[in-house]
Amino acid sequence: MSIPTTTLTRSLRRLPRSLPPPARSLTPLLHPRHYHDPTAPSPAPYPPTETAILTASLLRVPTSGFTPTTLTLGARDAGFLDVSTNLLPNGVFDLVLFHLATRRLALRSEVQFVEGEGELGVGERVRGLLWARLRGNEAVVGRLHEALAIMAQPTHIPASLTALFTLSSDILHLAGDTSLDTAWYTKRASTGALYAAAELYQTQDQSTDFRDTARFLDDRLEELRVGGEALGDVGEWVGYAGRNLVNVMRSRGVRV
Amino acid sequence: MSRSPYSSAGRLCFRCLRASKQSRSTRSFASTASANQPPAASPRPSSNDAAPADTTHFGFQTIAESMKESRVGAVFSSVAGNYDAMNDFMSLGIHRLWKDHFVRSLDPGHPSSISPSTPSSGWKILDVAGGTGDIAFRMLDHATTIHNDTSTSVLVADINPDMLNEGKKRALQTAYARSGRLEFMEANAESIPSIPSNSIDLYTVAFGIRNFTHKDAALREAFRILKPGGIFACLEFTPRLSNPLLNAVYKRWSFGAIPIIGQLVAGDRDSYQYLVESIERFPSQDEWRGMIEDAGFVTPQTAWEDLNGGIAAIHKGMKPLR
Repeated sequence: MSIPTTTLTRSLRRLPRSLPPPARSLTPLLHPRHYHDPTAPSPAPYPPTETAILTASLLRVPTSGFTPTTLTLGARDAGFLDVSTNLLPNGVFDLVLFHLATRRLALRSEVQFVEGEGELGVGERVRGLLWARLRGNEAVVGRLHEALAIMAQPTHIPASLTALFTLSSDILHLAGDTSLDTAWYTKRASTGALYAAAELYQTQDQSTDFRDTARFLDDRLEELRVGGEALGDVGEWVGYAGRNLVNVMRSRGVRV
Repeated sequence: MSRSPYSSAGRLCFRCLRASKQSRSTRSFASTASANQPPAASPRPSSNDAAPADTTHFGFQTIAESMKESRVGAVFSSVAGNYDAMNDFMSLGIHRLWKDHFVRSLDPGHPSSISPSTPSSGWKILDVAGGTGDIAFRMLDHATTIHNDTSTSVLVADINPDMLNEGKKRALQTAYARSGRLEFMEANAESIPSIPSNSIDLYTVAFGIRNFTHKDAALREAFRILKPGGIFACLEFTPRLSNPLLNAVYKRWSFGAIPIIGQLVAGDRDSYQYLVESIERFPSQDEWRGMIEDAGFVTPQTAWEDLNGGIAAIHKGMKPLR
């Protein structure tokens, strides 16, 4: 698998030597910005030392899984000591979060949409991005269930949900969804739920090139579309019936 | 036991004077660290009041620097015998859980499951101010039982011979006394010339570093003796809790009750008065993290871990490779 370490280090080299203390968050930013600049390179999710250990560890995941052993081996591969894994406060969970963060950030560079003629709709783009993210699990898919088990531990659930939210938010942003209405929340919730379901399905997928997972993803997207339409129809009917009811009551002299 | 805290002061004085003279001399360290380090002899102004260069804090008192080690030595000589009983009384036994958690989070020992083909020599751990062996025994237990590693060794260094004797006595009751994995050494953590540079995997100090006269010098010495990639880990009380209400209750307990418990259990009020005052004088988590970074260490993103709402905290730092 290809982790964009070169771009990470390149953007890090430009940083000042003394950084402000990073906030405790899932993907702590090295230099929190107070505005959003879509053209700026995304900040690296971890400082250089941690990135070195975690990048080396990820390469070991296919053989030794998401385990403390992998971290130790990764630290050795990167030229550190066994004890150096103490730099990662959450141990293996940091490895899981690192995998999530690097795959999520990779979406920006890996998925390019054609502009103008033959442009895809937002729904199609979301599908493409979800699929690209699922393909990002390819290198570690045999061990993905371990990562999911670690993420489901009670103390890790808040951070895991934050990671899922960040992913769905990124996907919708990259798909060009700029709407700022009440659907902002439901869109993110449904995209996140859809991704989580598809990823769980992926852990059991035996087909070549994840064909079953692709079909599963398409089925769920179709359900979401049909369900969304049905929900919209129901809403329209309720509004129509409600207005009628009010008018009927008014005609009977009720003051509403 | 009801020894006066000052009876052993004279005995310790000679050693202390010698040691503090060493610690004030400037030494050179690894190249990357020296660039952004403050000059060796200037103590970081961590406390709000600036003491003159040759005086320091002993609890709330200001005393000559040369006196601090002997005074601290006297305190610990006085409490060595019933050190554990007192800790249990003061923390309701929680200090044992903290130490367990500290050792477990460090996870010492080579996992035997990894590459049995390449024989490794185990970790070299230095436990500073660990005279009674509390941390050392836990480290060896963890390495042996969790990782099946019988090569990891611990060197216990303490400035106080009474505490060391207590530890040696306790070591006889463990399996490690004659295993060659446990060593005791009398040393001042501000300067340990007998330990070569780049030789230690893990440097720990639990509830000790707040008693050091020059904490920055001790940190730089830790930086010197650690291998690149080695970890400095420190378990220490914090001066105040994050929650102001709990902090008020906690301070009432430590200043009101602990010296009295000391009087009743150990017959020594002054030593325990010093212990609570020294906690109050220790830098806050953020300042302490800054001092660790000033010594050249790389700190984790979550720079410290608060225990029990911040009564104590675990700080870690790694010596960078280059």
